[in-house]
Amino acid sequence: MSAIYIHIPFCRQKCAYCAFCSFAKSEDKIDEYIFHLTKEIESFNYDKVEGIDTIYIGGGTPSLLKTYQLKRIFDALYKKFKVKKDAEITIECNPNSLTLAKAKFYNKLGINRVSLGVQSLDKNNLKLIERLHSPSKALKAIDILKESGIENISVDLLIGLKESFSSFAFHLQQLIEKGVKHFSLYMLQIERGTKLEKLVNENRDLLLNDDACVEFYQKAVEFLKKNRFLQYEISNFALRGFESRHNIKYWTGSEYVGFGMSAHSFFSGKRFANSSNFKEYYQGKREFCEQLTLQDRIEELIMLGLRCSYGTSKKDLKNLGYNIEENANFLELVKQKIIKEKGDRFYLNPSFYGVSNDIIIKLLP
Amino acid sequence: MERFQKIRNFCIIAHIDHGKSTLADRLIESTGTLAKRDMQEQLLDSMELEREKGITIKLTPTTMHYTYEGEEYELNLIDTPGHVDFTYEVSRSLAACEGAILIVDASQGVEAQTLANAYLAVDNNLEVLPVINKIDLPSARPEEIKKEIEDVIGIPAMHAPCISAKDGTNIDQVLQMIIKEFPSPVGDENGKLKCLIFDSYYDNFKGAICLIRVFDGKVKVGDKIRMMHTGKTYEVTEVGIFVPFAKQKDCLMAGEVGYLTGSIKNISDIEVGDTITHDDDPTNDALSGYKKVQPVVFCGVFTVDGAKYNDLKDALEKLKLNDASLSFQPEVSQALGFGFRCGFLGLLHLEIITQRLEREYNLDIITTAPSVYYRVHKTDGSMVELSNPSSLPSPVEIDYIEEPCANVHIFTPPAYVGAIMELCQDKRGIYKDLVYLDTNRVKLNYSLPLGEIVYDFFDSLKSRSKGYASLDYEISDFERSDLVRVDILLNGEKCDALSIIVHKDKAYTRGRALVEKLKKIIPRQLFEVPIQAAIGSKIIARETLSAMRKDVLAKCYGGDITRKRKLLEKQKEGKKRMRRIGSVEIPSEAFMSILKLDDEDK
Repeated sequence: MSAIYIHIPFCRQKCAYCAFCSFAKSEDKIDEYIFHLTKEIESFNYDKVEGIDTIYIGGGTPSLLKTYQLKRIFDALYKKFKVKKDAEITIECNPNSLTLAKAKFYNKLGINRVSLGVQSLDKNNLKLIERLHSPSKALKAIDILKESGIENISVDLLIGLKESFSSFAFHLQQLIEKGVKHFSLYMLQIERGTKLEKLVNENRDLLLNDDACVEFYQKAVEFLKKNRFLQYEISNFALRGFESRHNIKYWTGSEYVGFGMSAHSFFSGKRFANSSNFKEYYQGKREFCEQLTLQDRIEELIMLGLRCSYGTSKKDLKNLGYNIEENANFLELVKQKIIKEKGDRFYLNPSFYGVSNDIIIKLLP
Repeated sequence: MERFQKIRNFCIIAHIDHGKSTLADRLIESTGTLAKRDMQEQLLDSMELEREKGITIKLTPTTMHYTYEGEEYELNLIDTPGHVDFTYEVSRSLAACEGAILIVDASQGVEAQTLANAYLAVDNNLEVLPVINKIDLPSARPEEIKKEIEDVIGIPAMHAPCISAKDGTNIDQVLQMIIKEFPSPVGDENGKLKCLIFDSYYDNFKGAICLIRVFDGKVKVGDKIRMMHTGKTYEVTEVGIFVPFAKQKDCLMAGEVGYLTGSIKNISDIEVGDTITHDDDPTNDALSGYKKVQPVVFCGVFTVDGAKYNDLKDALEKLKLNDASLSFQPEVSQALGFGFRCGFLGLLHLEIITQRLEREYNLDIITTAPSVYYRVHKTDGSMVELSNPSSLPSPVEIDYIEEPCANVHIFTPPAYVGAIMELCQDKRGIYKDLVYLDTNRVKLNYSLPLGEIVYDFFDSLKSRSKGYASLDYEISDFERSDLVRVDILLNGEKCDALSIIVHKDKAYTRGRALVEKLKKIIPRQLFEVPIQAAIGSKIIARETLSAMRKDVLAKCYGGDITRKRKLLEKQKEGKKRMRRIGSVEIPSEAFMSILKLDDEDK
């Protein structure tokens, strides 16, 4: 186990598309939460001596935390774990709550990577999805980070909002020129129970339709490629050397442990998650815990590997008892050049990322 | 008083839903045959499905005792199925009786099967007595209905009892009428044995059981009997009557109705309408009216999960135990794998069997479009009979094809005559005549190809007449017809299970409708898929299914992995209901969709 995730379930305001575990206007609860969070870290049962290589603080809006609150978490972490010198430590930030003072403090704490929730640089779209920041504020946040000494900056953007591709490309260009090293492009998904779902039900034309969305995505992939950004996962693009080490651990089946409400862990063959309710979390309750079966592990290897440029190892699957070369679908997909092979590994032809689910399903045992 | 004079054998006939089973229940209850607490709603309909659909398929005779003016009478009620698919079974049940109660709904009046069944009873020399049912309904108009019966059917109805089988009103009148008006059986109990088999069923312990009416002689345990048409012989192991549950007796005598067992293994060894006699002292003449039952509607039955073929086979064999009219033989389809081509007496029969397969045997099944039997005359002078479109020989080998036709009688309020005639015309019907039965009812007679009747005719008729028209038909003859096979090609590959045989003039519209429908039903694939309809090598319609673009999970991080894996597993489970033709995956609904083409167009 060499990766840690910390969940901060607080936001100033809930975004229209968000179905994550986060609570708006609950800032008075943060201290109590930090108390329980640090307690959870302290009592973690861990006796393997292995250095921590990546830490990721996600949310919610971790940048909402005051410096002393964040420090408590780091104190607890450093006390419990041996964190490697060159560890990748990421924090998710909202352009609105980021200040120069905070950014400098992050740097001092050892945080060396920031994932910035920009989502869009289109004023109307930001309003539609109920983000509190303006386009200029987002660009400003990048300047602040650079000034504080944090260079490894990733930006999240949504695809599926209505805008012309040329304006989107212009925004990408602006961000690249500002020095963004990494992009996460997410095709907007309408989650159940969100405000956006309601809006879309009222107006079907609010967002791009599926075909247009994929076309838009493919153009964005092309654009980033021209600008030397490598697509190392369906939604993730990085300049060489700036891939997210933490996320790659998720996708390669490495162990990680999550602290905080609704945080997920993969540890000693089990996947488990904390409760996503304050009271239950404070009582130490789990949302679920499951021991992965051989079948589950095979499915994960295929599902995760095919979303990444490096694909899945046939040998790994064989070790779990699945010879994929005996799957007729596999052979057909190879023939159709949808699946490509490179030595022991097979990977999905990036032109088919838009329909990856359908292909993954065909390859499951 | 002679024994015969105290027996009445009768049945109840009616249009569907006019209350036949309810009256039967009431009679059983009123005669004290069964205590009220033992009564199940509509007792005679023993199958769950029948009770649910409110229709009777299986016949169960019941012996009741009723005292009238100091004399005890034995009343044998033979229930009959009320659907057009089972006309032959009805006619054999009628042949076992001397009288028939004709129930007519007090608000709906004479319907197609009222008339068809009444004629059937008259043809069998039965005394037909009308009863007006459902007089408890506010819309009841018994006096008008009585007149309608006299005008339309031509039997006296002025003294018909007006009852409510539901409430039990005037049931005694019916019982008294049975005794006073129905003739008692005649026969020679010392003569040579002559019994009519009017039904059969299968019992796990006793084997196949014959339901019989004894006309002459007597039959008892140990007798060596012979079935006159099949020639098979058996030793009688048990005889008895139903009260309404089976009750053993020493013997059954002329005039009586009951059952007979003889270690008969298969229900198919018993043919309804056959005559039973003594093997060593046979009667010379068998009872008339025997017909070999032939299936008229066919379809392929497959399991959604191909691995369940054996379960389907077992289920069909079990159903066949109790249903001699069901036929099936193995069939292999490129698209659907291993399955069976099943033959049915009609569409209702088909529907009942497929529903029982799903409900009682928990099978997920796919049925192909129903078809009829075609006679294909080849250029080499030979003739083949076939029901599966995909076994039709190539056009160059065919001299001509004949298809079965039916005489169709439709009863409808005059307002819908135009729409119905249009429908019949559209279905290649030949107009015979139109009769005004009274001011608000018309009888239309058409000759229609049976193939058109099995292809959504009932539904269209119902929708065009707002449910008011009723229908009856009897198969007439084979007629020469200009038929072609329309094939469906998916990505250039023929899908055998979607082929249909249609009249040449309709091939284009049917083909066009089919490809349009399939385009809606088949989900988009990784590649663009052409959907074509073709006659031989000639393409008559084409649609293109564009390639799938989006089927992707937005993000997949630590927290998502479990949830996303489960989503994919679910999506994969959904794929199991898909069939593959070459590289195209089609959902099982597609195979049934052929049937529903017309609904949406109108």
